[in-house]
Amino acid sequence: MPPPDLSSPFELVLTASSPREFSGTDLSAYDAVCLGNPYCRRVEGNYAEELGLLPDAVSSLHAAGKKAYVTSPAAPRGRDIPQVERLIAAAAGAGADALEVHNMGVLRVLREKGIPLPAHMGAYANVYTHLAAKVMREYGAVRVRPNAEVSLDEMAVIARDAGVEVEVLAHGKIPLGITEKCFLLEGPEEEDPKCPSACREEHWLTAGRPPSGGKPAGAGAWVLKNVGKGVLSGKDMCLIEQLPRLLSAGFFVFRVEGLYETAAYRSEVGAVYRESLALASSGGEYTVRPGWAKTLKKHSRNGFCNGYYFGKSGQSYVGNVLQGDNSRV
Amino acid sequence: MAELLASGGTVEMARVVLDTGADAVYVGAKGWSRRRAQYEMDDDEVIASARYARSRGKILRVAFNTLPASGEIPLLLAKAAKFVREGVRDFILTDVGAMRALKDRFPEAVIHESIGCTSVKAEDARFYKEAGATQVVTECRMDREEMRKIREEVGVGVEVLVHATTCYTYLGRCTMSSYTRQEWRFDEEGKNHFLGSPNRGGLCYRVCLTEWDQIGEDGSVEGGRVVLPNLAYFLVDDIPDLIDLGVTTIKIQGREYSVPLVGRMVRFYRDLIDSYLRDRASFRMEPWKERMAEIVSARDFERRDKTAALISESGLPS
Repeated sequence: MPPPDLSSPFELVLTASSPREFSGTDLSAYDAVCLGNPYCRRVEGNYAEELGLLPDAVSSLHAAGKKAYVTSPAAPRGRDIPQVERLIAAAAGAGADALEVHNMGVLRVLREKGIPLPAHMGAYANVYTHLAAKVMREYGAVRVRPNAEVSLDEMAVIARDAGVEVEVLAHGKIPLGITEKCFLLEGPEEEDPKCPSACREEHWLTAGRPPSGGKPAGAGAWVLKNVGKGVLSGKDMCLIEQLPRLLSAGFFVFRVEGLYETAAYRSEVGAVYRESLALASSGGEYTVRPGWAKTLKKHSRNGFCNGYYFGKSGQSYVGNVLQGDNSRV
Repeated sequence: MAELLASGGTVEMARVVLDTGADAVYVGAKGWSRRRAQYEMDDDEVIASARYARSRGKILRVAFNTLPASGEIPLLLAKAAKFVREGVRDFILTDVGAMRALKDRFPEAVIHESIGCTSVKAEDARFYKEAGATQVVTECRMDREEMRKIREEVGVGVEVLVHATTCYTYLGRCTMSSYTRQEWRFDEEGKNHFLGSPNRGGLCYRVCLTEWDQIGEDGSVEGGRVVLPNLAYFLVDDIPDLIDLGVTTIKIQGREYSVPLVGRMVRFYRDLIDSYLRDRASFRMEPWKERMAEIVSARDFERRDKTAALISESGLPS
């Protein structure tokens, strides 16, 4: 599918859960922001829950010449549907450009409402085939983010044959699992005093006891990130070495996963991808600049991965510049 | 009346479950279902098992419930055509595009939506009904009212897993295994077995069940060991309620277990269901729970060894 008429030949999208994640971030590198947290309704300031925040957030993005998308809960139960309906109405009322949808029931509710709000199928929608993407297009999807396990070659087939845009996770933690129970709390979430602060801190799951002194092991160690109702990869997905290939294959929508990261991460990683995508799309020779590598390593606690895109283990890395250990440990 | 459905990991297991009282058996086409190839069947085995089921007046369902590559859809349809020619009508799928394609090609096919679709509410069931499914698997923590809505308001069959595993995530929404280890391996028919991805190829390394520590930002260990629960469960107390609610199918998973153990599970549930239906008023659960206890420990014993072997195969540090 050819790219729309953008002022740039690509769209760089950031995710941000809340005013706290949004306001501390330099958004100049981004063309679009996806507002809200799909994992948990109780995240503080969640744009997908505190709907009164949406009008100002959307209008400030539009004023800055950026698109504004709003996410929706990834695994809502029947009792969550009234809130989903209010979310759809609020997102449309605020002028959002699309609703990010992870769940088929939510997609259906969106269509039944008859509101002209396009759907972007998100990470948990389990889009694997062009035929599945086509079915979702009938329900109003104009863009899909295939499941993390789908390779670049497979994504190209979806982009070619499904009649929807394909979004590629270019950098950030890969969502590996979503849970009903919060794994950072001991008691029920309504009563545990650690909610909602627990997921504002960093928590890492490691396999095998760490050495005494508790220092985290290097990039070879087995680490995941626990964000409460989700488990993310410990390593950061990183496609900085693959950008020319992606652009020539026809991909033009790229995401930087900003949820649960620092403002510096969102700002500086975005700036790196803005510059590198500009170089990759210029037609000139492309190499990964040392400054880019240094910045990405600074923000990566456990190293990089992109194996899923090449039909390999998700935690493996294909590339020449950024393979090997991260620099923070 | 609820159908009792059980697993057919091998030709022998399929026969045993039908002989010990299941009304239906499900089997996996090799490379296409949510189990590794050793628990799936070649086409000839599927056909032979289907013939046996028919001879007993029972149903065989074929699981094509992994998430394939786009280019593999023609393989799926060709294999389904082979089975349809041999009288198979019932299929279990996850990919909504594959569901629609199968139903369009074979309008008489009966499509059941798989556990991998993670339907947790009526709105999800409506979506899959529109894709051609006539039955959905209810997520194991779904409440009764939601099940009733799905059956009565959405108008599709409700299937409940009474022996299965819970997964610490919503089932069908986890890629921890393939993140740890994945190898693409193509069989002689060109089907990718996506080794390490339970969603795409059926082999799950169960890395959730290794021992986890949680550390904070400064690297210090927080609290004790973290458990990501992936429990194998039996539903027993709920069976009378589920029958009264009118669930369509009561399903026993178990392709990875030994044939005698699966036979015992089927016999147990057959006897329990029949006993309740014979005399609901004077039915008592206690004796059944006592009988179940032995089956539980046999199952735990078999599962423990398998899980340890899978975690070892994954390459996780121990």
